[in-house]
Amino acid sequence: MTVLRMTARLLRRGLAGLVALLLGVAVFELVNPFVADSLGGPQGLEGILRSLPPALQAFTKSQPEFIAVSGLAGYLSLGFTHPLYLTLASAALVGFGARTLAGEMERGTIQLALSRPISRFQVYAARVLGVVVVAVGLAIAGPAGMMLGMRLAQPEGTLEIGYFLPTALATLLLFWAIGGLTLLGSAAASTTGRVVAWATAALVLFYFIDYFATLWAFLEPLEPLSIFSYYDPSQALVNGALPTRHIMTLGLVGLGGATGGLAVFVRRDLPT
Amino acid sequence: MGNLRHLEPVIETTALTKRYGEIAALTDLHLAVPEGSIYGFLGPNGAGKTTAIRLLMGVIRASSGSARIFGHDVWAEGVAARRDLGFLVTPDAFYPDMTGIAQLDYLARLSGKPPVLRDRLLDTLELGRDALRRRLGSYSKGMRQKLALTAAFQHDPALLILDEPTDGLDPLIQRGFEELLRDLRDRGRTIFMSSHDLAEVERTCERVAVVRGGRLVAEETVEGLKRLQRRTVEVTFGGDAPPNLALVPQVTIISREGRRVRLAFEGDLNPLLRFLAGHDVANLVLAPPRLEDVFMAFYGDDRSGPGGAEGTPAVDPQDAVAASDLVMRR
Repeated sequence: MTVLRMTARLLRRGLAGLVALLLGVAVFELVNPFVADSLGGPQGLEGILRSLPPALQAFTKSQPEFIAVSGLAGYLSLGFTHPLYLTLASAALVGFGARTLAGEMERGTIQLALSRPISRFQVYAARVLGVVVVAVGLAIAGPAGMMLGMRLAQPEGTLEIGYFLPTALATLLLFWAIGGLTLLGSAAASTTGRVVAWATAALVLFYFIDYFATLWAFLEPLEPLSIFSYYDPSQALVNGALPTRHIMTLGLVGLGGATGGLAVFVRRDLPT
Repeated sequence: MGNLRHLEPVIETTALTKRYGEIAALTDLHLAVPEGSIYGFLGPNGAGKTTAIRLLMGVIRASSGSARIFGHDVWAEGVAARRDLGFLVTPDAFYPDMTGIAQLDYLARLSGKPPVLRDRLLDTLELGRDALRRRLGSYSKGMRQKLALTAAFQHDPALLILDEPTDGLDPLIQRGFEELLRDLRDRGRTIFMSSHDLAEVERTCERVAVVRGGRLVAEETVEGLKRLQRRTVEVTFGGDAPPNLALVPQVTIISREGRRVRLAFEGDLNPLLRFLAGHDVANLVLAPPRLEDVFMAFYGDDRSGPGGAEGTPAVDPQDAVAASDLVMRR
């Protein structure tokens, strides 16, 4: 009960910003069916993709051939790998994870709970639960926005509505991994700014390893080190597939980050 | 005084030490705070007071030694140690987006005990109910301090740990607050407080521990400490000052100006009074012993931080006043 109460407080604080980011994610995905419709459906998009140089094709994490085969679902899945979508979602997760642990240590607010008969484990568990809530919210907001966009725009092409579930799960796993790693950083740092800097650097590094590995063969061995190489919403939205390897890897990265953060937090000296 | 006293002290530290690399912030602190007492914890900035309080609250971990509250180790059994405890958080620690009343309600729920003392505290501290409905962002420093005190006391804990509790309170409210402390003490509550305000400590505490350079340099009742202090007497004689004044035991002559003599004495006053009774004394000024003087003597011109040398209470307090961080407000 205490953990739930603390989680509710953490979520209420900064709720406006969180809701704005969730709405941003939903609106971004809502717009995609309209864009697909305006481009003339999958055929039109395939033509546009073919005209792009390979470097930009890699940036979209898709190939023209894939769009040709996968149709509308293939195109719409690009909305879940778009840098803007990932940036909005990461901002929500990193912001929450950094603010509620390192930020509270920085301000001294964490004393409010820790001067009561509440353990550090409970304090940390409230943050983990909060990250899960934010991640679930993000995982729902994107597909929900896109489903609404589909209903409103009714673009040419077919899409299996049931495949939104594995898509949401794929995004949830990615967000859990990002959230877990953020918690690890937040438990180790003592200021919000430092956590945001670490998390941003790590995510940019992961993204560019994944990006350049598709362009430069010599980087391929590094690709498994990026969490984005275990994130494939295209497979989920086109085929309804969510590889077990992806589930396990992202799930364990998130769990490892969160557990590592707990190990650090319960042992460390708190600032202020 | 409280009626029921535990045999074990409420707070007990044994060789409590905190080091940051080469720097010793606190060394070998031995404390035993009895139940039903107001216990002062004194020292200038950097002496180790806040480090000790943070160790007691489990905010930082001891490098060696141990600290126990209600018999529970504060690190290994922190939840049990804090079960019946009120701690004064820094006023800036509150959530700025919450109203005062929401903050108090939230903290009462986290404490798991009803806020039975809240109304009394709000009255004593003169924190209006209207103010409680405002968000904390609009509070002055003094209002935040009052809110922090209310949050610490409202669930009527058996032990209160207070770091500079009257900082930011005006003198009238401070007196009311001290009255509240004494009342809680009389009902068996234990109060452990650090303060720079020595007059407040003198008015409220029965016993004090003094730290300097991270080490305990004195642990005594307030009255006992004052008895240790070298005091000054100014005597104006009706005729010439007697030449054998310096022979009185434990008396030192500081200055002579005609018939007026300034003396310093330590310990028992009676030998001096007996000597003066045999002479024509026109005026006698004997300043009451003040805790401030004791502390000035302890700290003297020493402003050393962690790792500084231990001090001895042998410095003339009047020479040391300007050298200390400690303040006296009457």
